[in-house]
Amino acid sequence: MSDDVRTLEIDHISKRYRQTVAVDDLTFEIHAGEVFGFVGRNGAGKTTTMRIVLGVLGADAGEVRFDGRPLDFATRRRIGYMPEERGLYPKMHVAEQLTYLGELHGMTGADARAAARSWLERFGLADRRDAELQALSLGNQQRVQLAAALVFGPDVLVLDEPFAGLDPVAVDVMADVLRERADAGVPVIFSSHELELVERLCDRVGIIERGHMVACGTVDELRAGGLERRWIDVPAAPDPWEADVPGVRLLRTDGTRRLFELDPGVDDQALLQAGLATGAVREFERVEPTLGEIFRNVIDEAAA
Amino acid sequence: MNARSFGLGGTRRLPSIVLVARREIRMRLRSRVFVGGTILMTILVVVGIVAASLLAGKTNPVRVGFSGGSQALEATFTASATALGAKVTVIDIADVTAGEAQVTAGTLDVLVTGSATAPTAVAKSAMASNVESALSLAAEAARLSDAGLSPVAIASAMALVPVQLLQPPSAKDNENLFASLALGIVLWIALGQYGNMVAQGVVEEKATRIMEILLATIRPSRLLAGKVIGIGLVGLLQLTIVGGAALIAVAATNVAPIPALGVASILMDILWFLLGFLFYATAYAAVASLVSRQEEVQSAVAPIGILQIAAYLLVYVALPNPSGPLATVCSLLPPFAPILMAVRMADTDVPSWQVGLAAALTLASIVGLTWLAGRIYGNTAMRLGTRVRFMDAFRGNARG
Repeated sequence: MSDDVRTLEIDHISKRYRQTVAVDDLTFEIHAGEVFGFVGRNGAGKTTTMRIVLGVLGADAGEVRFDGRPLDFATRRRIGYMPEERGLYPKMHVAEQLTYLGELHGMTGADARAAARSWLERFGLADRRDAELQALSLGNQQRVQLAAALVFGPDVLVLDEPFAGLDPVAVDVMADVLRERADAGVPVIFSSHELELVERLCDRVGIIERGHMVACGTVDELRAGGLERRWIDVPAAPDPWEADVPGVRLLRTDGTRRLFELDPGVDDQALLQAGLATGAVREFERVEPTLGEIFRNVIDEAAA
Repeated sequence: MNARSFGLGGTRRLPSIVLVARREIRMRLRSRVFVGGTILMTILVVVGIVAASLLAGKTNPVRVGFSGGSQALEATFTASATALGAKVTVIDIADVTAGEAQVTAGTLDVLVTGSATAPTAVAKSAMASNVESALSLAAEAARLSDAGLSPVAIASAMALVPVQLLQPPSAKDNENLFASLALGIVLWIALGQYGNMVAQGVVEEKATRIMEILLATIRPSRLLAGKVIGIGLVGLLQLTIVGGAALIAVAATNVAPIPALGVASILMDILWFLLGFLFYATAYAAVASLVSRQEEVQSAVAPIGILQIAAYLLVYVALPNPSGPLATVCSLLPPFAPILMAVRMADTDVPSWQVGLAAALTLASIVGLTWLAGRIYGNTAMRLGTRVRFMDAFRGNARG
């Protein structure tokens, strides 16, 4: 199957709860084979968007399409979903529960049992197969919840905060699984507040603020819109020292090291010259903003 | 693995209703509360029947001792007592004083002394009126015989007045009606219990928050229908176990005659029970869909409970005139039909169009209620924590 089909398209969806606008004319898409990171502050509209994709909530306007067609009930059954509100049957045995969910998604009993077993092994829960869910630790319940989203071999993955509450080992397993599913041609979207993880794992990132998509693209593309920064270590410079170069602003001082931000088009060599004018320059480093920094900038701009 | 225990779910894809029903059955059969409750109910019912048979055994028959000349009355007394419906045992007493001591001690109920034509009865604190009448009749026969009447003349002189009924009770005997009524009441109580189980079960998915996953996979009406069917089958199993134990206990202790209900009448009762169960279970599911926490279920389902009690009371109001307008109309309406039509059919000959109409209306309302319950459930699923007003839930703006 080629890459331009099997795309999940969110097309101008809007949703309001009485006076509050949760999602406002939101448009983006997730391509086959792509891991899409969905970030935003609490209440920005991430969960509402995912619920609309799953059809658990109805949108006031707009449409969600997969493979070029509006999502219907049959297509939605093929979406692996991990809701923000975790929930499984507390008294049902772990493997039995996964098998049940697999069958509800249209698997045969035998296939569902085999899939449940292999996912439990993958998440290191093979020995808890016949335990009641409520007997498991919260972290392990979370792993079962992930297995529930994966057990039937979904065509699309929509995961709301899948990494919250996982230990580092489980985070690695989960990250591998998402990559592997995407490589198999599945569009993957997940929300997270752990921006380092998003930066490391995602092909593209969407930043949502008050129901609007305020930035969307690869991390490099998001950086391209931002400002250049340089660390410069000038031990002989007076304190304070602000370089006095047009278009260059001091952001932070750390001992004798200083972080400057350069306006677009400003030559960083001017900053280096100013440094050398004070004496020796021990360090001159170009720093790329982290996703966290991009995120804060974008949110500040949106608020402005 | 026990997943194969129902013989399903191997290499076939099963409809979601079947999957949901199967899960309900498995989970309940595994639950200690359900298994323990069934065992306890069975024990209580059997113990109750055995206790009733022991108590009933004490009151029968009345022991009557005859001494001296009155012993000539024994044969006629026994015959009269039987005719009057009193069970008696006749004992010869040699010594009047010893006999009185037995009456005081309670080992003898009545002591008859004196001659056959002028007997005297001695009892402890009371004497059954039919025993007293039987004794009086026996003494009267003895006096007539003493006066020279032939046995034939005595019989004709003492013949009972014939009674002619202008409106005899229907061909179906009272025993049938009683059995049907008793069965109806037991099933009606069971209905309430299983209806509540359905209501609790409907909230389960919301309370455990699993419904957000489920709603993306299964339509709410199918989820609810699967629940109603699963819990209904478990309920039937429980009823069969407890009812079967009760029947065996009754047969073993002989405490009451097991009414010989015809196969057709039993099948009709089962059919009406199933329709009643489906109607009320779906109604319980619909109102339970409005709430999202277990502790809110009781107040939400209260109106259905009241409707059920109203239907039950209607039986007593309508029963004296099973073909009257009140009974006829109410027995066609779905909330009342399952019990009222069943009782009417046991009591009188109901035109078959009425039976068919009542069954069709009930079935149609079950389908309608399932649709309604699914709609309410789907519309309220994402509004956790608050009880949703009915009209909001129905219109669907509860989503917002």
